[in-house]
This record gives sequence, C-alpha cells and structure tokens, in this order.
Amino acid sequence: MSDTLVLAVPSKGRLQENAAAFFARAGLDIVQGRGARDYRGQLAGLKDVEIAFLSAADIVAQLASGNVHMGVTGEDLVRETLADADEKVALLTPLGFGGANVVVAAPRAWIDVRTMADLEDVAASFRARRGERMRVATKYINLTRRFFAKMHVSDYRIVESSGATEGAPAAGQAELIVDITTTGATLAANALKILDDGVILRSQANLVASLGADWSGPARESARAILSRIAAEEEARTTREVTTALANPAPALIAAAEAQFSARLRYRAADGRLTLNCPQDKVAPLADWLIAQGADHVSVAALDYVFSAANPLYEKLVSRLAGAKMK
Amino acid sequence: MSRAVTPVQNPADAVATHLVRAGYARCEPPILQPASIFFDSGEDLRGQLYLTSDLSGAEYCLRPEYTIPVSRHYLASGAAGQSATYSYCGPVFRYAAGQSSEFTQAGVESFGRQDSEAADAEILTLALDAASAVRTLDLSVRIGDAGLFSGLLAALDLAPEWRRRIARGHSQGKSVAAILNASRIGAGRDHSGVLGMLEGADKQGARAFVEDLLSIAGIASVGGRTPAEIADRFLEQAALRSGVGVSAEKVAIIERFLRIEGDPDSASAQLRQLAGEANLDLAAPLEALDTRLGFIAALGFDVAALRFEASFTRNLDYYTGFVFEAHDRTRPDQKPVVAGGRYDQLLQTLGAARAIPAVGAAIWIDRLGESPSAGGQRA
Repeated sequence: MSDTLVLAVPSKGRLQENAAAFFARAGLDIVQGRGARDYRGQLAGLKDVEIAFLSAADIVAQLASGNVHMGVTGEDLVRETLADADEKVALLTPLGFGGANVVVAAPRAWIDVRTMADLEDVAASFRARRGERMRVATKYINLTRRFFAKMHVSDYRIVESSGATEGAPAAGQAELIVDITTTGATLAANALKILDDGVILRSQANLVASLGADWSGPARESARAILSRIAAEEEARTTREVTTALANPAPALIAAAEAQFSARLRYRAADGRLTLNCPQDKVAPLADWLIAQGADHVSVAALDYVFSAANPLYEKLVSRLAGAKMK
Repeated sequence: MSRAVTPVQNPADAVATHLVRAGYARCEPPILQPASIFFDSGEDLRGQLYLTSDLSGAEYCLRPEYTIPVSRHYLASGAAGQSATYSYCGPVFRYAAGQSSEFTQAGVESFGRQDSEAADAEILTLALDAASAVRTLDLSVRIGDAGLFSGLLAALDLAPEWRRRIARGHSQGKSVAAILNASRIGAGRDHSGVLGMLEGADKQGARAFVEDLLSIAGIASVGGRTPAEIADRFLEQAALRSGVGVSAEKVAIIERFLRIEGDPDSASAQLRQLAGEANLDLAAPLEALDTRLGFIAALGFDVAALRFEASFTRNLDYYTGFVFEAHDRTRPDQKPVVAGGRYDQLLQTLGAARAIPAVGAAIWIDRLGESPSAGGQRA
C-alpha cells in the first residue's frame, strides 16, 4: 500500500514557474520545504501528497520506474526517453505551457527539398554519390529513428548533439538536424527550414501518470482529489456560464444549442430561466442565437471552478491502470 | 522406464560440429566489438545495439551479428582476396522490445571464390543440412536473385536515378506503379515553373541558374550539398516531368517480371520467355540462375521443392545476387530459421582494395525447436 502520493514537478526554470502557477490555479499551492533549496515539498491542504522537485529528464525516468505517481514533464522527453511510453505512463492532460515542436530542418539552400519524400530521394543519391550517409545532428535519437523509419528514409546517420544543434550544418558536422523549436527563429538565423511534413511531434508540458507506481491505498484517493480540482479548473477556464430567460424553452431548442454551440444545460427553472455552459469561443454566437430565439437578455460569467461528479482525468487514469494490469 | 542410450547433443553444438566437418573453420570474433563498424549498416541496426564505452571514451557494443566481424577477421588474416571459408556459432545481441535480446546464431561465410554459382549452391545446401542436423525439419525454402532484378533494370536502359528509385521503392514493398506515381506527384507539386525552365537545359546552364536563384534569394549555401547537386536533381525531375522517365511498356515488363514465381525451372523458362519477347539482354544473370540450380541439383537437392520468386530480393542495399530463406512449415508465424545470400560489395566497404565475392548464411538456433503443437505427433 502506498500512503503518500508522490508528485514530481520541475525543479528549476520557467517550467517550474509555469507548473507552480498551473497547480495554484487549480487551488493546489505548492509549499516548498524550509528553503528554495529543499527538494521536497507539499501541497497545501492535502496531507498525503509529497512534492518531489526533479529535473525534467529525471521526472520521466522516475515515472517509468514507478518511483513517483504523477509528474509534470514535456511530451518530447517522454516519447524520446521511453521506447514503450504508452505501456509505462499515461499522458493525462496537456497543460498549455512548455510548447515546442520537434522538427526536421534542412538547409534553406536545398530549394529542391520540401518534404520527407524529397529528403528520402536526396539521402539515397547523396549516399550513392559519396559512399557516405547523410548526417543528422540531434539529441532526439529515438524520435528521429522512429520518424525516419516511418517515412522510409534509411540512408542517414545520426550524429549525437547535446547543445547548439542548429549550428551543426554550418559547422560541417551534419547535413541536417532534428531539434526542438518554438518560433523557428533560431532555425531561420542558421539558414535552416522546417520540411513541410517534418514536424515529428507537437510537444507541450503534460500531467503524466506512472502506470507502474503503487496505486493501492490512499495514493489513489489523493490522485482523485488532485485530478478533480484540475478538471474543475480546466472546465472553468475553457467554458463560460450563460444565463438567460426564454418564454418557453422547448427540449428541441436545448438540443439545438448543444448541437450548434456545444452548450450543455446546467439548470432550467419552471419559469423559463436557463443556465448553460458553453466553450469560451462560442459564447458570442450562442448569445446572438438565444436573442434570436426570443431572449431579452443573455448574461455571461466566467467561473472559478466547475466540479462535476464525473471526473474525466481520474477516469482516464483508472482505465489506463486497468489496461496496464491486464497485460 | 527409459535409459539414456546416446548423449543428446545440444542444437548449437550439433550445428557447429556439422559446419566444421564440412570444412568451414570455426571463427569466433570477440563478443565485445568496436561499435563504429556496425554504424554503416543503418540506423535500424544501430538502434538495436547494446552499447558501452570504456574509460578512454571508445565505444563498444555486444556483437549484434557475425558477418561483419568475420569479414574483418578474413580481411586482417592475410588471406584477403583468396578463397576462404568460415563458420561460427554463438550469442548475438539485439534489442527487441518485449522479447529476449540474446539469440544463438550459427552460420557460414564463403569469401573470394570466383565460381559464384557453385559457392551459392554450397552455402544453401550446407546451411539447410546443418539446420537439419538437429532434427528432421519440414522447411519451405524461398530463393530469389537480386542480380536478376538489377540486371533487368539495367537491360531496360533506365537512367541510374530511376534504377535507384525503383530498387529502393521495391525494398520498401511498394509496387512499381506506386513508385512512379510518387515521383511524378513530388515533381509536379511545387516547382513546375523552375522545372519547366530547366526542361532540356544542359548541366552547366542549370547549375548557373540554381546558383543565381540562391544568390538572388540571399540564401547562404550551407550543409553538404553543392548548388551543382541541387541543379542536377532539378534536371532529373524536369526530365521526369517531360516523360523521359519510364515508358508504360517498361513498367509492364517490370511488373510481369516481379510476378514470376514458382518451381525454379519453370520460373527460369518464364524469365527466358520474357527476355525474348521484350528483347532484353538478360543472358548473363539467367545463365547464372540455371548454373546455380544445376549445382544445387548436383548436391543432391530436389530443385523442384524450392520456390523461386522474382520479387524476393531481401535487402537490396546489401545483397547483390542469390538470396534465400527457409521457414519451418510447422511454425508458419515464426521468422526464418535459415537465411542468407550473396553480398559482393560488403568487403570493399569494410576496406578491401577491390570487390571480393562473398556469400553466407545464418541459422537461428533458437528457432529450431519443435512446435509445441507438433510435439504430440512424434514418437
């Protein structure tokens, strides 16, 4: 039995700040130990939860080995480090920060190369002409191998690069690169371009659960509490509460609001007052439409939390744990 | 009550003994090998290596296969270029998700023999006999010839880049039609203006044109390929666009060739018929095919029991001629128990001054066991 749930969060940098802000939004304040140098902490108000401050790469390793229950880390690291990622961990939800793409980039001077199919062709003739394989500089060795194999590119050779990968082609260390990029500005500055179908992974920070951790006992209950708050905050952040009054809101009208605006009925009074939840970007069209249906006023409010009996994040965790156990 | 009458030899020893008795001297390269010698075999194999490094930073791996280490042993032996044969039997290590990563592999390599077809036949029959030394096997044996396929592409007088494209696409399991269509789509999608300009242009003009394009756009030329190489590829695609590619007639011939399969003698007759009707000079590879079948028969094997498939070429990057593999009929889902072929280019890439003929076979000892379901049928 596991009495304490261990939640791993990044120990430094912007990822740490973003993770702390994310948990705080969900009403989960991370309390660091005696000082900023303490590598253990707690979640205020949840006594059976321990926070472990680790490097992003260590978080993946600890999730894979089951030493921590949940953690915040980038999908790129999960997919690169774990060959069988979906057997070992469950990506519960993307967190909206730490976004970056892992891409294949070639010199801009290769004006004849726009797609991976072009690259396959060029790589083969490169090898036929020179008797050497084209070199690809990257730290994403496994992602590169899997993606290139999927795209039938075989005439290449990986050159491991742990930093400043984008400079490798100009330095003559490689012909092209696989690297992470947010804006593409660094690639452009190094006279590189992303191939049209060369995005290997659109990565961002995820809340990741270990499938191999000890989930018996109170750890599971702690996970449910945490995930329910996160889901409540996520639901509140992405939706708006829409209140109005209609003389005679027929069931067909509500069904139409659901179909056209993904609105969900929350409350309906006998006197015609209605409360709906609706995705943020559909609020204005929904309001227009309700007025056209005869409403005088439509008021829209942002919410702090929407707690529900059904908790999609926790359900995802439970079903993935059940799936992992069956194997 | 039963008594052990004869000590039962384990399968690895039985195979190894058989190979040595056939005159193939045992060669056991160290399990720990310099990792770099396998890097040119492609990232697929490299991804399966068990790597380690020593204090000096030199990178090593556990032997993932025998052919490269045995070939290097031969090249270093002083006999390089002369005829020499080797056998081996021991563990190889490759990462395989969810499976054991240590296998026992036995095999033979034959280097430097000029009578290639006789050597091919000897390697095939020896490998099949050695596997059967463990127990009676019900094997289905598939044979093919990468030399015939490349001979066909050469006889069709296709441009080298077309030969390369078709050979590569074929290795990836694509049909000829799919390979040709993919190239056309690729060429027509974006650069039709440039390609139109370059249609019929000479190499020098095209190179100057590409260099100008790059300088007008202010693109620094970095990384590996020269403007000349880029220009050459544009020219290739322009030629493709204007239909100087592969005629429908030639496509039909390639497709007909790839469909030929069955009993080797009748397949050979069909190939000769195709060559005659299409007026292709395939005399040399067809002669080699028949000579090889003759040697196989002379070694006491029923040629009609083999199955020839023109489309069976294995890895065209590596195998240059005869290829074969044998499956246990009682275990149809299992990978081959014996596989091999001719690889006349490898030794040169490993440092030999010139090409040295080479043919070999591997036997997967762990796959020689009886099918669990077949156990009850035998006494």
